[in-house]
Amino acid sequence: MDWMRVKQALLERAPEALGVHIVMVLVTISIAIAISVPLGVLLTRPKYKNLGVVVLNILNLLQTIPGLAIIALTMPFLGLGLKPTIFALTVQGLLPIARNTIAGLYGVSPDVKEAALGMGMSHKKILYEVELPLAMPIILAGVRTATVYVVSVGTLAAYIGGGGLGDLIVTGLAMFWPEFLIVGAGLGAILAISLDRLLAYVEYRITPPGLGT
Amino acid sequence: MIELKEVTKIYTGQSVPAVDSLTMKIEKGEICVFVGPSGCGKSTTLRMINRMIEPSSGTILIDNKNIKDSDPDKLRMGIGYVIQQIGLLPHRTVAENIAIVPRLHGWPKDKINRRVDELLVLIGLDPETTRSKFPSQLSGGQMQRIGVARAMAADPPVMLMDEPFGAVDPIARNHLQDEFLRLQREIKKTIVFVTHDINEAIKMGDKIAIFNRGRLVQYGTPQDILSRPANDFVADFIGYDRVVKMLSLFRVEDIARPVGCTIEPNELPNAWNKMQDYQAAVCFLINSAGEPSGFITGDDFLKQGKDASPDVLNKIAGQRKRAFVEGDVLLRDALSLILEFNTEYLGVLSGNRVVGVISLGDIRKHASKKEGD
Repeated sequence: MDWMRVKQALLERAPEALGVHIVMVLVTISIAIAISVPLGVLLTRPKYKNLGVVVLNILNLLQTIPGLAIIALTMPFLGLGLKPTIFALTVQGLLPIARNTIAGLYGVSPDVKEAALGMGMSHKKILYEVELPLAMPIILAGVRTATVYVVSVGTLAAYIGGGGLGDLIVTGLAMFWPEFLIVGAGLGAILAISLDRLLAYVEYRITPPGLGT
Repeated sequence: MIELKEVTKIYTGQSVPAVDSLTMKIEKGEICVFVGPSGCGKSTTLRMINRMIEPSSGTILIDNKNIKDSDPDKLRMGIGYVIQQIGLLPHRTVAENIAIVPRLHGWPKDKINRRVDELLVLIGLDPETTRSKFPSQLSGGQMQRIGVARAMAADPPVMLMDEPFGAVDPIARNHLQDEFLRLQREIKKTIVFVTHDINEAIKMGDKIAIFNRGRLVQYGTPQDILSRPANDFVADFIGYDRVVKMLSLFRVEDIARPVGCTIEPNELPNAWNKMQDYQAAVCFLINSAGEPSGFITGDDFLKQGKDASPDVLNKIAGQRKRAFVEGDVLLRDALSLILEFNTEYLGVLSGNRVVGVISLGDIRKHASKKEGD
């Protein structure tokens, strides 16, 4: 083990790589939430209920395509860099969030919805004041799953010049520098675990009091 | 007043209507109970009144206004709605749950808070300790009461209640029914109440509407329905104890007669003569504190002879020491006591003074009386 290289990897390369990786994950997850949650809401409305199965199947199919394949497939269209990376990662992040949004909304007791409707709450009010708050813990669990997933697949972005922690790993592999490998992969793991813990905390805070224990 | 005219509901994909050209009027300030076996159309009818279900044809008027002319959300804001499953919002406190409809009406905050406290007191819960609890921290009976309070929050003239006390245990249900009847005497809402329990219908209803297969089979006061069942279905639905059920509509004070004759223990040798003088069939034995300690009847003298000894009479009277009821006891329960003590009479108490007497004959006469007789 060459400590100079560890130092080099940690101090010279890691800060930027980690920064890029975090930006990549945050942007991806934000876009995925912005698409998946409204999609999940739409697919649980009585009008579009039948579409739900179709859309979920399509998302399931997208999920089975390996991350690297999507990254490779998007390159011809979006070129190199962060843009195709974020596109590819977003596709991968959609399913867990959409699926949990749908499951969460279906999980809201029909009695509660019936009572809310019977009291004169509009469908919109019921969605915002009853359904979404009650489904929120499950939606957030989906966001957690997607986040951890995107952190790991994000390391592949280095192959199309997306940067991030993958750069360290690629360099390590190319130069036979295990120190770079360890620093890149280790930071990736730490990032995934910390984001997961952070979101778990948010989930705990956002769970409406009176629910669960 | 709620008026249904030729209301029919056929669910898509079904050939038999769930509700079949139903026409009825529900008077203002009355509890009208819809009762019938499951699938008879009672809940469907209830839910058409607040447009949770749209009728296939026919009109429903509330205070002479067609409900189709108002926006469904606005309509429902003006109608209290209680369901068996209650449906309290689990992520909102008791106070927030009760405040839902007032908030939809846009009431100012302090008015809402005052109303919440007022309602909590009204339903017998302590505002201080209950206000900020979550539904999961309440008992079934408490939740049910909050559900009723929530429906009354904006003081709607009409309330729809779909088996509101169906999910609580029998003791709590009885208690909630009594409490609700007491409440109704003050608030005088027009209430449509759905149940499948004929006993609850008899207890709660000013009017009872019996449904079967989407049709209204009989509509009338509990006494009317119990004394004149329209057909075999109604008679079967009520059960063999129809007459005993009818006795639960009346109280002892409704048929009590004044006390004819009382004696003190030292007058026992003279009891027969005193009863003859007063032409009384019953004579109450009153102790020195003025409390009744039993009674003797004309029949006792027939069995024991006119000159029965005071000791024998005292013993007979003493066996009926407990054959007394308060005036507000149901006739059904009084009948049970009469059978238990194997006597023809019961004394009627007010506090610890005897104020009247009822006889098995009076109860029998009352049971065969029809509405309006």
